[in-house]
Order: sequence, then structure tokens, then C-alpha cells
Amino acid sequence: MIKNMDDKGLCFDIAGIKECQKNRYPLLYIDKVQNVIPGKFARGIKCFSYNEWFFPPHFEDEPSVPGFIQVEALVQTFLMTFLTISEFKGEKAMGLSWDNVKFKRTIIPGECLIIESHLLSFKRGIAKGYSVSFVDGEPACSAEFMVVIPSVLSKFNPK
Amino acid sequence: MENLKKYKSVFIESFGINESQITSLKYQDIPEWDSVGHMGLISSLEEAFNIEMEIDDIIDFSSFEKGIEIITKYKITFND
Repeated sequence: MIKNMDDKGLCFDIAGIKECQKNRYPLLYIDKVQNVIPGKFARGIKCFSYNEWFFPPHFEDEPSVPGFIQVEALVQTFLMTFLTISEFKGEKAMGLSWDNVKFKRTIIPGECLIIESHLLSFKRGIAKGYSVSFVDGEPACSAEFMVVIPSVLSKFNPK
Repeated sequence: MENLKKYKSVFIESFGINESQITSLKYQDIPEWDSVGHMGLISSLEEAFNIEMEIDDIIDFSSFEKGIEIITKYKITFND
């Protein structure tokens, strides 16, 4: 479901997220996205319960969210900055680069990650931008992304 | 000649190649000039020459030589 929150942008629940991007269980790492301004910004929310598959093995005595999953949550929120544009909704997207990835704190069961994604440019199927994230107001991980929509990019390939 | 120098330098910077390699270069001759590299090249050329290329021209831009012909359409001269 997609709700228009007027001046606060669009809000997407899990069904709305699945309408926009192809990621699915067990690799969909955002629960809700709000304050979306298509073509500019998205705020993602991911709450981590101990029932997540990765907590028992990572680590048995001290469970925490693996780094690659944190970055996946960041990039999935970033996707919502441009896959919410009606003409690109539901398109497959692929990562081209993940740069400047930084982890500022450990995330443990029971914590919620708030992710803010900014789209800096989106031209001919290539999106560039970054995500920053917070837990209880404290900076968590951040990264810069370049993502492509192959179906759009292929229209510009020399023959 | 200034524009030719600028044109060559965009290729050199985009693909990390030597000047001796570029004059006969065609799309997909080197791994760096793939579909993504092509978009990077086009963006850099648009920025360097302050132009916005048409879709048909981006598709036709299949070699270093062909690119000169295409960019000339945007009132950029290469023989000044």
C-alpha cells in the first residue's frame, strides 16, 4: 500500500515496497519506507528481531547484524528514491558500485535502523547517490551507491 | 585543435587508456567501453562540451571517429 502523506511525502508498507523493487524474502531488508520524494529522497526503516536468520550464527555469544546486511538495507532504501518514479516502478536494478562504506556502531537484536537515502543524479538508467543511517539517533552505517536499471541502459547501447 | 584535445582527454580519463590507443577505438574494443562505460563517456563529453545529446546520437556513437562526426552536429568544431 502506498499512502500520500501530503507535505511529508509518500509512505510505503511492505506490499508497496514490493511493488517498486524486486527484492523478496529472505533478502528484503527494509520494513517500511516513508517521506519519499520520488527522484530525490527516501527514509527506510528496518527493525531487527532475534528471529532474523543471521543472528544465531553471527555470533552465537554476541549477536549483531552482519555488515553486508546493513549495506543491503541502505541500498534497498536508495532504490526507493528512483523506483518510486511511476515509469520505473518494479524494474530490476543492479549495483555498479558501493563506495566509501563506513560502519559506526554495532546493531543488535531489538534495534531499529533508520536509513536516509539521497538521489544525487538519475540519468539514462544510472542512479548515483548515498545513504546514511541511525540507531536511536546515533550514526550507524553509511555508503555511496551507483545503481543501474539494465532495461533502461540497454536502450542507449551503440548498435 | 583545442576541442580535439578536449575530446581525446575525455576518452583517456573515462577509460584510463593511452592517446595512442584511442583514434581507432570502437565500442566494446576494450572492457572499459561497455554499456556502463558508454554512459560515463557520454556524460563526460556532455559536461566537457556543455551539450545534451539526443538518444539517437548516443546509440550511433559507436567509435572515436564516429563520435567526432556526432559532436560536430552540436556546433562543436574540431578543425579550428
